[in-house]
Amino acid sequence: MRCALIAFVVLSSTGSALAQTPPARRAMPATQTIAAGKTLFDSQCAWCHGSGGDGGTGPNLHGRLRHATDYKSIVDIITSGIPGTEMPSFRSPLTAMNIGQIASYVQSLGRARATAATGNAQHGADIYRASGCAGCHTVAGAGGIVGPELSGIGATRGAPYLRDAIVKPAAAHPPGYLVVHAVSKDGTDIRGIRINEDVFWIQLRDARGNVHVLQKSEQSTIERQLDASLMPSYATRISGTDLDDLVAYLTSLRGAQ
Amino acid sequence: MSHNRIGIRFACAAALFAGSIALAAQQNGDWPMYSGNYQSERFSPLTQVTSANVARLRPVWVYQPPGAGSLETTPLVVNGVMYATAGPTSVQAIDIKSGRTLWEWTRPIAASVLNLGFPRVNRGVAYADGLVYVGTLDGYLVALDARGGIERWMVHVGENPLGHSVTAAPLVVDNKVIVGVSGGEAGIRGFLDAYDTRTGKQIWRFWTIPSPGEPGSDSWPGDSWVHGGGATWLTGSYDPDLKLLYWGTGNPGPDWNGDSRVGDNLYTSSIVAIDIETGKAKWHFQHTPHDVHDWDSNQIPVLVDAEINGRLRKLVVQANRNAFFYVLDRQTGEYLLGAPYAKQTWAKGLDEKGRPILIPGMAPSEKGTLVYPSLQGSTNWASPSYSPQTGFLYVPVREMGSIYFKTPAEYRAGTYYTGGSEKRLDEESWGAVRAIDVKTGKKAWDFELPSPSWAGVLSTAGGLVFSGSNEGNFYALDAKSGKPLWQFQTGGAIRSGPMSFLFEGKQYVAVAGGHAIFVFALES
Repeated sequence: MRCALIAFVVLSSTGSALAQTPPARRAMPATQTIAAGKTLFDSQCAWCHGSGGDGGTGPNLHGRLRHATDYKSIVDIITSGIPGTEMPSFRSPLTAMNIGQIASYVQSLGRARATAATGNAQHGADIYRASGCAGCHTVAGAGGIVGPELSGIGATRGAPYLRDAIVKPAAAHPPGYLVVHAVSKDGTDIRGIRINEDVFWIQLRDARGNVHVLQKSEQSTIERQLDASLMPSYATRISGTDLDDLVAYLTSLRGAQ
Repeated sequence: MSHNRIGIRFACAAALFAGSIALAAQQNGDWPMYSGNYQSERFSPLTQVTSANVARLRPVWVYQPPGAGSLETTPLVVNGVMYATAGPTSVQAIDIKSGRTLWEWTRPIAASVLNLGFPRVNRGVAYADGLVYVGTLDGYLVALDARGGIERWMVHVGENPLGHSVTAAPLVVDNKVIVGVSGGEAGIRGFLDAYDTRTGKQIWRFWTIPSPGEPGSDSWPGDSWVHGGGATWLTGSYDPDLKLLYWGTGNPGPDWNGDSRVGDNLYTSSIVAIDIETGKAKWHFQHTPHDVHDWDSNQIPVLVDAEINGRLRKLVVQANRNAFFYVLDRQTGEYLLGAPYAKQTWAKGLDEKGRPILIPGMAPSEKGTLVYPSLQGSTNWASPSYSPQTGFLYVPVREMGSIYFKTPAEYRAGTYYTGGSEKRLDEESWGAVRAIDVKTGKKAWDFELPSPSWAGVLSTAGGLVFSGSNEGNFYALDAKSGKPLWQFQTGGAIRSGPMSFLFEGKQYVAVAGGHAIFVFALES
């Protein structure tokens, strides 16, 4: 099951205003609390944050956390989610005690030293330029529009996910980048990212960035390619330390601080 | 389809529901209650808009309630006035000629008011004898004077700090206002109430979860019944001849972790037939015994008279959230027919009594269990429609699977009591308006949608089916074939039920889409 296919449900999208006080800590010894938190984390959180919190479609949780500075703020984030991001509220599925256990585990990850970068980000930036990534992607205001903007990608995606996205882009396409192949009744063949779709119309952006507005009733085929990406695999073009360096560069992109 | 033939069919329908004031009102061109009539057909007898001329349907006006979020209301039209609602709790009376407000009533709802498991919405009002009845997010039922929106009485239905809310449209039967409650994710003990239309005095309460010693109580171990769920969060149906209410009940609590409630958990995820005078159950039918997927059975039960196995029978039919379509005898509750109408992976089928034959290993788990349908089910609260002309039940369908997780559950008053979660398979999902032949349970046609539907369906005697999409389309289909005939892009997700009414001799069609109500008529 690919993470890219999955979105976490939030029972109430408008959220409730329920005041939930942080649970009392240390109801059990710290090591047991952390162990219980890890079990819950592996079930509820690892889908996005990766096994052991190494990151995936969600951020790496080792080292300094972008949105949380202490135990209480971790509890608050797990409880309420982070508006404007893919982090949902876990108020419904988890009890206050469970949230506290997970927060203790996440805090223990934060205390652990961040995994040392295995690549040279500066050289990775050269690889990025030399490989033509900017033809489709934008970093810090410069680049194309076909692929996702990468200015803050290191803050929202973990290194394992970014590595996959380079060598197996079809297996890691992010939400909103569904590939659709449409063939009209007169034979016009268009493959592109679905920009929008309703019952009667579909809008596609092809790899050149051209937008096609298609009336569904005029198409003979409209195929959603769930396992496809417009991005070609760079597995044969970028490998070894170059790949490590490019991942290190992408991981270093944290957006405006 | 000639008008005469429709007239004959309506004479037949009227004979079966003789004495129904509501039906008479609908024949006058009003839309007098949430589902259109007591049978909950959501079928309009109006014939001006047809498959031949629907291409000329145009917006007449658009109404935007002040401060509204996403609208889930079905407006009523009674005596030439439209009554709509918006979340969290407000009512608008709208002049149909101009689209302007005649009055608005708003109940102040503090941010601290709970809505555990559902959005801060309201789905509509009930009307009778000059009073408009509305439920409130904070758990009250209010009677408003239809002339000016003045409060005539207010009663406390449920404790919001424990999770009770009233988001469904009430149903008026004779001198009673019937109202259900939400709160199935908060560990409430569900009930259905009847209040006196004139005074608000409680006439009866039916508890959906029996207390110890009552029939069905042996389906709950220990004190698990106390927080057993069984919310009554949508509007039900009524048969004036049998004097029985038909109401769907919600999931048992906790939703996804059934360890503390081993047993069938009656009368959750069931249809209950309730005597209108006594408030006692005459029969029940449980679609999903020991529900661990939060599938509920609140979906609108539709009352249909049809020939089954060569015999004309009074039926109640339901496309259930668990992916099966059910036909029951509504006098006795006898199971007559059941079949899956959408993708499902949890049951091999139904046995001769209609009980699901479970596929092992489909319960939520710590590691996650992939099951179709998703938590939101193969259909949800969006209303189906039944056309007596075609004999089809038109169902807003959701084709989607989920990975279900089980987590520990602990009851704490006023918090979620669910014991799990889901991860939806969003990109693989799709939706449809699906026509089901109620005599066979077989699909007649599909009109496919890009995503699982939240839009109710209206069918009309003009041979049309109206519905919407999450993508904002409001459209008309041919009722026999499902072929699209007309559409309008409303610009916001349609999460409401369409309706139709007559005003000054002209047929209108209305639907809430996004934050507005759209009213259409044929261009002159």
